[in-house]
Amino acid sequence: MMDRSYKELLKLRRFPHTWCPGCGIGSVLRNVAMGMKDLGWDYKNTVAVSGIGCSGRMSGYMNLDAIHTPHGRALTAAETIKTVRPDLNVIVLSGDGDLASIGGNHLLHTSRRNADITVFCNDNEIYGLTGGQAGPTTPKGTKTLTSSRGEPYSPIRLGRLLTQQAPYFYARTSVYHLNHFKTCIREALLWKGFSFVDIISDCIELNGRRLGFKTAHQMFKWFDERFHIVEGEKDHLQEDELGIAKAMTEEAPSPVEKVEVKPEIPVKDLKPFTLRELQEFDGTEGKPIYIAYKGKIYDISASPLFQGEKRMRCHIAGKDLTKDLDIAPHGEDLIFKFPLVGKIEG
Amino acid sequence: MKRLVSGNEGIFQGAIRAGASYFAGYPISPTSEILQQAALYSEENPEFRFLQAEDEIAAAIATISASLAGAKAFTATSGPGFTLMQEALGWGHVVEAPCVFVNSMRVGPSTGMPTQPAQSDLLQIKAGSAGDYYPIAFYPNSVEECFRLTITAFNVAEESLSPVILLADAFLSHLYEMVDIESIKLEVVPRSKEPLGSGQRLFTGTVHDKMGNVKTNDPGIYREWLRELRDRHDRVAEKYPLFEYLPCKNSQTLLIAFGITSRVISSLKDRFSIFRPIRIYPVLEKKLKEVTQSYRHIIVVEGSDGQFASWVECAICRKVMKVPCLGGDFKLKSIQNQIEECLKREET
Repeated sequence: MMDRSYKELLKLRRFPHTWCPGCGIGSVLRNVAMGMKDLGWDYKNTVAVSGIGCSGRMSGYMNLDAIHTPHGRALTAAETIKTVRPDLNVIVLSGDGDLASIGGNHLLHTSRRNADITVFCNDNEIYGLTGGQAGPTTPKGTKTLTSSRGEPYSPIRLGRLLTQQAPYFYARTSVYHLNHFKTCIREALLWKGFSFVDIISDCIELNGRRLGFKTAHQMFKWFDERFHIVEGEKDHLQEDELGIAKAMTEEAPSPVEKVEVKPEIPVKDLKPFTLRELQEFDGTEGKPIYIAYKGKIYDISASPLFQGEKRMRCHIAGKDLTKDLDIAPHGEDLIFKFPLVGKIEG
Repeated sequence: MKRLVSGNEGIFQGAIRAGASYFAGYPISPTSEILQQAALYSEENPEFRFLQAEDEIAAAIATISASLAGAKAFTATSGPGFTLMQEALGWGHVVEAPCVFVNSMRVGPSTGMPTQPAQSDLLQIKAGSAGDYYPIAFYPNSVEECFRLTITAFNVAEESLSPVILLADAFLSHLYEMVDIESIKLEVVPRSKEPLGSGQRLFTGTVHDKMGNVKTNDPGIYREWLRELRDRHDRVAEKYPLFEYLPCKNSQTLLIAFGITSRVISSLKDRFSIFRPIRIYPVLEKKLKEVTQSYRHIIVVEGSDGQFASWVECAICRKVMKVPCLGGDFKLKSIQNQIEECLKREET
């Protein structure tokens, strides 16, 4: 006998729900609820956030404190709630149009900030609630209400977008591949940080029928033809693969340029120059470029900004630049990396 | 202790005093300093959360969401950013999220004249978002008032369960004055709303009944919701009928001005009576009717092409004269000339 206790997480008093028969969203809602139940997530420790659209109605059917945001803003709301209340689990239940089109900017930045939220994206490749217009994930060539000759543009590749820099968790699954779907949900819920489950789902009434499918089941078989499951840990997924791509740690930070610490020469041992002698070293006729700073003289011939020129912006070679540097936008450490060659006499 | 404080800092310190623990924003002149102060403050006080959002849309949504999550939250922007925030402002009224939106006005529309002061976002505060709603807005004219009114704005937000708008202008934001912030004592209204994670509520921008069930085809429920919103806002606004009235004996002319303009024309107080509304919206209808009836001429001096003047005309059912200070020009001389012209026109 199947465990039906996950139904505690659904607002059954509000059923029947708003979705069409055969829609994939019911499966998404139910399996997410099952995954949450397994982990003991409920109204005391979890908040659900949705955007707008058919998928956006999901949070309203969950027996939790739920937020139904304006179109596209689910991720920002979820991130903020997690920031203010880190003790709560935050899940996002929304659609591909909401998350990837109108909310695309937030998707870029919430994932970049690695907000600790779990996103379930009902990816049905169409704007269903408004009647079947082309969306950001609609495959090229698909006929919709706004692309009667076939969608002219390639779809956004969420997998590539979300796995561009670690840490990331991106899973692609489908409502047809049920066991795989359940595994993805569980792993995503357990992931610390931003996790995104791209659920290939069907919209039979406002997309499927126009494409020639008679039933939702025919669409599921089409998913089975288009996609195949890849097992094991992956860094990235191909466009026809269902699986989990994840990377835990950030890429190793670029090695910091090591600054050699030169032993300091005592001032008394430095070669003395008068200001007039200093003026000779202005880089002309193959001579090195010297400048004075706080009584000491540095050879800055190696500075790329001074090469072959007597002056670099407002700084003149062969001069005491102490006053210039005090008002310069850069610090004095810029000078200290050059070799010390002498001191100002007197 | 008295020290030099800018309008922006006055606003930020006011928010902290009011118990704010969340700020989200996006850099824009003239309120970037508020964003910077919030960032610094959050580094030293980890219980204060800060987000430099990807745009003003996200900043505003984050502000409303933080409020729903239980934090006293605020954001600060200027005209073009405020335009992007209208979506969240409408949402905030429906989901009953108390928070504060600071809009320091500059010349618009669009990018306009960064960063010249203006007072031309009044219609935007009242009706920038879709549908009917009844925002409450205040407008200080000194740094000390920036501090005080920010606290008032947070209190009004908690009482009205809605976003409250604090207006300022580029001039006021960057105005430095000697203020003793620590000595100012003001009452702070605490948060009363249950935090998240304590029920099975639905916070939705869709019209819903009291149980949070979405009802999109019942005009009765919509009307009841709208009436409740209006009544609640009217009730709270009535508690704060803030204004300043400087009557001048023998003057038959009343000048109406607010924010920076009221500071500029304050030197005319020996020649004209001056009325300064501090609660900009809802318009102080009763007070305006009462004050204006004893004057022959009423002149509204403002940094827009007659936005507030049109509200005054509606409120007192009478034509008023307009002195618009446009393009960031708030010079006393040009205001005086315009006033004289108005009065001359009236005499002929």
